[in-house]
Amino acid sequence: MLAPQHNYTNLSSAVGLGLIGFNEKDIVVDYGCIFFDSFVYASRLCKKVVGVIPSSERRNTLQKRLVEEDVKNCDLVNANYNEQHFNEVFDCVIINCFLEQLLFEIKHDKSNFFDGKIRSKKMDNSLDETGIGFLQTVYKGLRPGGKIYLSYANKLRINILFKLSMLEVMSFVLSYNLRKYLGFVSFIKNIYLLSSYLLSQKGLEKLLKSNGFVDIEKYAVFPDHKYPLKIIPLSKLDECSFEPVQYISREGSLRRISAGVKRRVDRLIFKNFKLFGLSPSFIITARKAS
Amino acid sequence: MASLPHLLLQPEKPHDITIMLCELITNNTHNNNIALYKCYNANKVFYRKTAFSQWGNKVIENEKKGYDWFYKDSETLTEIRLKKKYFYELDIPEFRGRRFSSESIISGNEETIEMIIDFYKGRWSSNDIFAIHGDLALCNFVIDKNNIKLVDWEHFHYSDKKFFGYDIINMLFILIYHESKRTFSLNKRKLDFIKKCYIQLIEGVGNSNKILEKPFQNSKDYLMKYADRFLVNTNIYKKFVLSGCSLSVLEHFDSIVTK
Repeated sequence: MLAPQHNYTNLSSAVGLGLIGFNEKDIVVDYGCIFFDSFVYASRLCKKVVGVIPSSERRNTLQKRLVEEDVKNCDLVNANYNEQHFNEVFDCVIINCFLEQLLFEIKHDKSNFFDGKIRSKKMDNSLDETGIGFLQTVYKGLRPGGKIYLSYANKLRINILFKLSMLEVMSFVLSYNLRKYLGFVSFIKNIYLLSSYLLSQKGLEKLLKSNGFVDIEKYAVFPDHKYPLKIIPLSKLDECSFEPVQYISREGSLRRISAGVKRRVDRLIFKNFKLFGLSPSFIITARKAS
Repeated sequence: MASLPHLLLQPEKPHDITIMLCELITNNTHNNNIALYKCYNANKVFYRKTAFSQWGNKVIENEKKGYDWFYKDSETLTEIRLKKKYFYELDIPEFRGRRFSSESIISGNEETIEMIIDFYKGRWSSNDIFAIHGDLALCNFVIDKNNIKLVDWEHFHYSDKKFFGYDIINMLFILIYHESKRTFSLNKRKLDFIKKCYIQLIEGVGNSNKILEKPFQNSKDYLMKYADRFLVNTNIYKKFVLSGCSLSVLEHFDSIVTK
C-alpha cells in the first residue's frame, strides 16, 4: 500500500534512484541513511524501507523529517544489529557515500555494517577485508536478483587515500610489536589496495564481481551525487551527448566568471577528451546473481 | 528502537525487477520538480519524465493532455504512456529526425522556421479546441522531411482562438534573443526575415485576433495575464525571455513587423 498523496517537498535530489526503477512491492534497506531525500523517495515508491543509521543524532533528525513527511512505511535500526538476521528479504540496497562509510568502518575499527565475528577472523585489518565484509553483508541481505545502488564522490578518493594512509602510518609508529601487529609489507599492501579500489573504477567493479554481483553499471554524475543534474552511463558514452551542467552562480562577477570557467573546463575534459574517470561523482548499480 | 527481525516481513514471491540503463538529461529545470531520462531498454530507446513531488505530478499530467491534444487520431499517441505511480512517469518514444539546439538561431534555419509556421497554421486551425503549447521553440521540434513532431508540452493549456499566433511569436522572440546574443540588435536581413514570418502568420487570420496587431507586446501581455495557466513553478521572468523583456524592445519589433 503506497502512502497517500499530500503536498510534500520536492525530492529531486534523489534523482539517481530513478535509475533503479522501484517496484511498489519492493522492500529496501538504506545503509547509513546519508541522504534523507533518498530515504523519503524510496519510502514513497516502495512497500517498506529499513534505515540502518549509526548516529543517534542523525537518527533523531531523520525521525523528525519522517514525521513531517508523514512517512510510515519505514523502520530505523541502529548499526549494531547482527547480520544473521538478514534472510535475503531485501529487494534493493541503497548505499549513498559508499567510500565514506567504508572509511567509517576502518576508522572506528568496529563493526557497523557486519558481524564482529567475521571481522575477528580477519586479523589483517585491510581495506580489502573491510570492503569484502561490507559487501558480503549487503549480498546476504539481498534476495536473488535484488539490486544494489552505490553513490560516492570522486573527490574523496584523494581525501580517503590521505586519511587512511595517515591511519596506517599511526598504527605503524604506535604499535609495540611491529612484527606481530602490522608488518611493513601489510602497510604497503593496504596502500596498494586503496589505490586499487579508490583510485580505479575497475577496482570497485572487481570487488562487486568477486562478491557475487552481476549486471554492473557505472555512471558519471555531475555536478555531484548529492544533487545530480546529469548522469551518464559509462557503457553508453558513444550515444550520450555531454553538455556541462549549469553551475549555480550567485551574485558577483567573480562567481559568474568562475562558473563560466568551470563549464569550459568541463566541456574540454568530458566532451572533447571524454575523461569520465575524472567525473566529480559516480553511481554504481548492480544485481545479485539469481 | 525496533529489532530487525520484527521489522522484516515474510518474504513474498519475488516480483519482476527491471533495471534499465538510463541517462539523466535534465533535473528540476526551472524548479519543475521533474527529471528527464533517456532510457535504453534492449534495442528500444525512449524518454521518461519522472515527477519528484506532487507539483511534478501535476505538470506531467498536464503534459500528457498536451500530447493527447496534439497527437489526437495519431498512432504516436499509443506510444506515449502516463503511469500514475506515487510519482507520475511519462514515457515518450524517441522520434527520429533532425533536432535543434536550445540556443538555435535564425541563420541557417530560415526554411525550417517557415515550414513550422505553415505547419502551425494548418495544425492549430484544424483542431476543434484551440490550445497553446506554451514553450514553442525550435529545440522542441523533431523534423523528418515533412513529418513534424513536437515535444515538451509541460506548459500546455486550452485557450481562446483569438490568441492564435502566440506560440509562433514566442518562438520568433526566442530566436531573436539567441541570434542577437541577448542584445536584441539584428541586421536588416534578419529583421526582414522576421517581418516575412509575421506576414506568413497573419495571412487569413480574422480581425478578432488579440495577438497579431502588436504581436510581441500582446504576447507578453497574454503570458503575464494568464501566467497561472503555464504551470511555472519559478519566477516567470526566469523561465520565458519574452516576459522579462522591456516594453521598448517589444515596441521596436512590433513596429518593424507591422509597418
